[in-house]
Amino acid sequence: MSLLSRIDELSGSSKVRRAWFAFACAVFVIVIAVPSIFVVTHLFTDWDLVDLVLNNEGIRNTVVSAVANSFSIALIVTVIDILVGLPMAWIMVRKNFKGKKWLDTLLDMPLAFPTAVIGISVVMFWISPEGINIPGLGLSLSPYMLVILLHIIFTYPYMVRSLSAILEQIEPNYETAAMTLGASRWTAVRTITIPLFRAGLATGFILCFARSLSETGGTYIALTMMGVQTSFFTGPSFISFLKSDESWYTSDEMMGAQILISVIMIVLALILLVVVRKIIAKFRFPMNKVWPDLGRKVSRGALPKAKDFLTILFLIVVVLLPTFYIFLYLTQPIPTMDYGQLFGSIGTSFLVAGIAVAIDIIIGVPMAMYIARHREGKLGQLLDGLVNVPLIIPTTALGFSLFLFWGSLGLDSSFDLLLVILGHISFTYPLVVRNLIGSIEEVDPAYEEVSMTLGAKPFQAFRKVLFPIIKSAVIAGGILAFTRSLGETGATTSISDTVNTVPIYITHLVEDGLYTEAAMCSIVLILICFIIMFGLRAVTGRRSKRDA
Amino acid sequence: MARIKLEHVSMRFGDFYAVRDINLDINNGEYVTILGPSGCGKTTLIKVISGIWTPTEGKVFVDGMDVTNIPLEDRDVGYVFQNIALFPHMTLKENVAYSPRVKDQGDEAMESLSTEYLSLVNMLSRAGMFPKEISGGEQQKVAIARALASGSKMLMLDEPLSALDARVRVELRYELRRLVKKLGITVLHITHDQEEAMSVSDRIVLMRYGSVAEVGTPLELYRHPRSVFAANFVGETNLLECTVSDKTKNGKTRVKLRGGQEVRTSKTDFKVGDPVVISVRPEHVYTANDGLRAEVRSVVFMGTYWRVRTMADSRDYVDFNVPADEEVPKEGDVVYLVFNKKAVVVFARPQGGIEEEIKLE
Amino acid sequence: MPEIVLDNLCKSFDGVVAANGLSLTIADGEYVCILGPTGAGKTTCMRMVCGLTHPDSGKVYLDGKDVTEDSVDSRNATMLSQTYALFPHLNVYENVMFAPRIKGWPEDSSKQIVRSMLHMVHLEQKAEWRPDELSGGQQQRIALARALASGSKVLLLDEPLRALDARLRINLRKELRSLAKEMNLTCIHVTHDQDEALEMADKIAVIRNGRIIQFGTPRDVFENPATPFVANFVGRSNTLVGKVVSNGDVTVVETDSGLRMSARGSDLPVGSEAVVTVKTGFTKLVKLIADTDPEVFATGVVERVLYEGVTITVEVGVEGLGLISASLPNRKYDDYSVGDRVGITWVPSKASVFPMPPEGLEEEMRLD
Repeated sequence: MSLLSRIDELSGSSKVRRAWFAFACAVFVIVIAVPSIFVVTHLFTDWDLVDLVLNNEGIRNTVVSAVANSFSIALIVTVIDILVGLPMAWIMVRKNFKGKKWLDTLLDMPLAFPTAVIGISVVMFWISPEGINIPGLGLSLSPYMLVILLHIIFTYPYMVRSLSAILEQIEPNYETAAMTLGASRWTAVRTITIPLFRAGLATGFILCFARSLSETGGTYIALTMMGVQTSFFTGPSFISFLKSDESWYTSDEMMGAQILISVIMIVLALILLVVVRKIIAKFRFPMNKVWPDLGRKVSRGALPKAKDFLTILFLIVVVLLPTFYIFLYLTQPIPTMDYGQLFGSIGTSFLVAGIAVAIDIIIGVPMAMYIARHREGKLGQLLDGLVNVPLIIPTTALGFSLFLFWGSLGLDSSFDLLLVILGHISFTYPLVVRNLIGSIEEVDPAYEEVSMTLGAKPFQAFRKVLFPIIKSAVIAGGILAFTRSLGETGATTSISDTVNTVPIYITHLVEDGLYTEAAMCSIVLILICFIIMFGLRAVTGRRSKRDA
Repeated sequence: MARIKLEHVSMRFGDFYAVRDINLDINNGEYVTILGPSGCGKTTLIKVISGIWTPTEGKVFVDGMDVTNIPLEDRDVGYVFQNIALFPHMTLKENVAYSPRVKDQGDEAMESLSTEYLSLVNMLSRAGMFPKEISGGEQQKVAIARALASGSKMLMLDEPLSALDARVRVELRYELRRLVKKLGITVLHITHDQEEAMSVSDRIVLMRYGSVAEVGTPLELYRHPRSVFAANFVGETNLLECTVSDKTKNGKTRVKLRGGQEVRTSKTDFKVGDPVVISVRPEHVYTANDGLRAEVRSVVFMGTYWRVRTMADSRDYVDFNVPADEEVPKEGDVVYLVFNKKAVVVFARPQGGIEEEIKLE
Repeated sequence: MPEIVLDNLCKSFDGVVAANGLSLTIADGEYVCILGPTGAGKTTCMRMVCGLTHPDSGKVYLDGKDVTEDSVDSRNATMLSQTYALFPHLNVYENVMFAPRIKGWPEDSSKQIVRSMLHMVHLEQKAEWRPDELSGGQQQRIALARALASGSKVLLLDEPLRALDARLRINLRKELRSLAKEMNLTCIHVTHDQDEALEMADKIAVIRNGRIIQFGTPRDVFENPATPFVANFVGRSNTLVGKVVSNGDVTVVETDSGLRMSARGSDLPVGSEAVVTVKTGFTKLVKLIADTDPEVFATGVVERVLYEGVTITVEVGVEGLGLISASLPNRKYDDYSVGDRVGITWVPSKASVFPMPPEGLEEEMRLD
């Protein structure tokens, strides 16, 4: 209490407030932003290693094709997400029906699954590979196709969420107004709502593209289960492959390849995303021509229903069924397992995720408050852009970059747990801050202002007024970041060989062909995740029910 | 041509009737205002009439044709929203040209209609601007132009002036009426502002609790309200509880206020001894040498007149007006009040009490 | 005892000027309305008083003390926001209790204060309710109770009635003012509604483009407007343009179409361009006996008669002048019908006369 009132007192001084904000900025820049892209400097300091790789035609071709695969897959996945995500966002925002809450929860489910687990489940569902005694569809898919199907699953929720968020902010009155002026719904949506949508489209595009680009664990596992992990690569899976088997290349070649791949992916990702923002902002939808009769036909009768049906069907068949397919293992006899290893790795995972999320929130709140309240200012816009950087950098490259950065400062592998935590802070921080910014922006600044005119010091206004109002959003952001950290493979492997988080443990099991054990580990992990999520939801849910 | 007719229209949400059993006839070229406090169902009603919602019961006719199930985009109604809803990504001209465009009427029609209607609201000189570059009042004018450019003979105005500054609101309501009367179209206007309703309407429909409480011209509603609620809602009034004390053969009635003062009123159907309420507007209360004794509580300058609030011996607040130039009593003065007996309206005393009857929310 | 002095305040946001040399002195216990159109800088002015906005230059004094650099919480000036800003996670009682708790007052006396505040706004029975369960008017009252419970003697009201229905607004005007007077508060009330300002204020400060253009009693502002804008903003006015023909006790102005009209005395030079404004409520109509009635300034044809309650509005089309409106008592409704020829006149002392504003009349008269 006395500590709190000391802080209350201190918060009255604008110098203290400025210092605290400067500290949060400094932490962000030094711990998160700079290390994330540090690897780029190695292009200059270690040019000889890179040169070595560039001169080795075999590796060079592999690197190029891996990067090409990554980008083309990410692009295809994102486009599919947009096409299928739009009608789904419409259903979620503009329609009311029974079971909407369930659909809402189901949509988020894939985010609670570590991607490594989804990797196993997807391969089982579509292909039914050897060594797995549960029948899948048994299709023969190319690795390229399979990776696309896999990536759709965990990018789709991001797309639907970003599109819904924007759709909710667009006045439904615009559409109604268009219809009173004689536009059919289809025409109204095409000429009015979609053009107002660009911002959401850009956000959704970036989130999905970056997520697909950086995914490591699930992709690598899926490729391993198909037996093509040594012949088909994406950027991140190539780095995983390099790490998994050191017999293929010399350590210099490995280092050079990693630097090269990381730099290419970071630079391309940054360029591409700036370009995407520009293109989407400039893009004029073809809207001048209208076809009243066609619009009318499309807007009524069976077509809209068919569209909704297909949207739901896609969700079930492409997203939900493959995700949950792994639970079929519960019908199998339980193998003997090394529970010590399993729970040890779960403990590590939770430790890493817990600390990372806690730090995210503590240093994220002042940052989010500043950005939310200073959107118009130059510094606000700059920070708003910078916060996204770790989000769009492939986590494998990011992890590798971090490893080089802290290594250059003398933190060697004996600190690797600390390094892993720092790595996880980097890519979860944007998720937490994004969520916080969104929720703070929705809170009328009058709440805090009025409380201050009633005599509250700034910190009192924060903890007694603002924080209770945004608490559920903070928790939601926390859960999102926590599950994301829990499921991360790429960053962890590229930072450390010894820190054994659950996804890495599962990856090792798959590499050893122990599919049943891997599946059982996955199920245990998912169940623990669900229990925590529902527990937290119940706690916050009860609160909000009392609020209502 | 647009005659609108509602037959037993109800709109139910779950178990709750937002509007219930509305019957209404609106003539061609008539300007009708639906007036009522928040939550009385007026917005629901206009959405049902315009086709944004389909009523759960009843029918809507336009020019004798049942349009209840005709979809919104084929209804041909001009609709103006409270929050304006100009398309933010289009210029003013593109906004006004939207209807001809989606009806595929061709570039020429788009050009001529947008020019015609923008100039009608004096906004042609800013045709190339975007909505956010002009003021709220100007935006609403463009929104009206956009609705009119659809060629509709019916205009629905959903609290069109509420979002604007008070002074702009006053100016715009005169302009609005001038405009639509010139074009001769049928208008349905929703508002909670009784002054606005009085200024623009040919006829006012007063709503409460999802039903029509009273219908009449502004003058009828103001001079001869049929309920205590209407008397209080449409213009300010003094309400005094009293009892019928005497009645002549031809119906002229006297009532006795609390405290015993007697007041003459015009003809009524009440019997001696009936508990009643009288309503008398401040401009019909005068000071005299004799009458209801009252003590002045406050004197407020209202521009062209002073509003004097008194506490009468009958334990009622009684307000009256004094022209700005005339001598005005001071706080604490004692005055004697008389009422213009032709302007005194008598109502049966509401069962739940006056407070409950005139509750605004 | 709180007296508020604003001394030459300037503030701009990204090049948009919100306060431009704003000075104002508000006496203890006075109820002042800051009246102006949207974007005039009303809210900025109020926020600088409580410290939520820091002026670029100039000083704010509360009670004779320079508080320009003081923090918001130390100023003891409480704001009632337009949206009420009742804390959604607290019930009515806890909301009103907010300031006493924050200030660490003893529990017993705090409880008593909260109870008496709730009593004063007639909402004791709703103490346990959540803000979103209350109607708009009730929320407004709770916000007021919360502000009053802070013990501040300065109350800042930011368009406190804007979110309410028109009819309710009229009732709450009286209630709000009498509560403020009862508690002996110094109030700054920001509004765009001139009727509200006339009815509630001891003094009105008309603000435009970040500057106070007139500060005076309601009667003063209504009857002796400082500029043509004020004349038309506070009560509708008919506005006429012409050249000064003679000045002195009565100013005579001749329009382009040759109509001569009189206004109050002035020293405007003969021959200069002038603007005459007369309130619609002071504009009189007379039945014409002959077209050349010497008493009337102009003649025209009645185009519309509107019954508006206490008053009727008659719009008369005058050749060369456009529409002239007259607001008359409702008993005259039957005297005028569309098509009648009528004469227009007014008492010269009720008409104001101004030199032509340098930036043109249209710009001067813009309402938003």
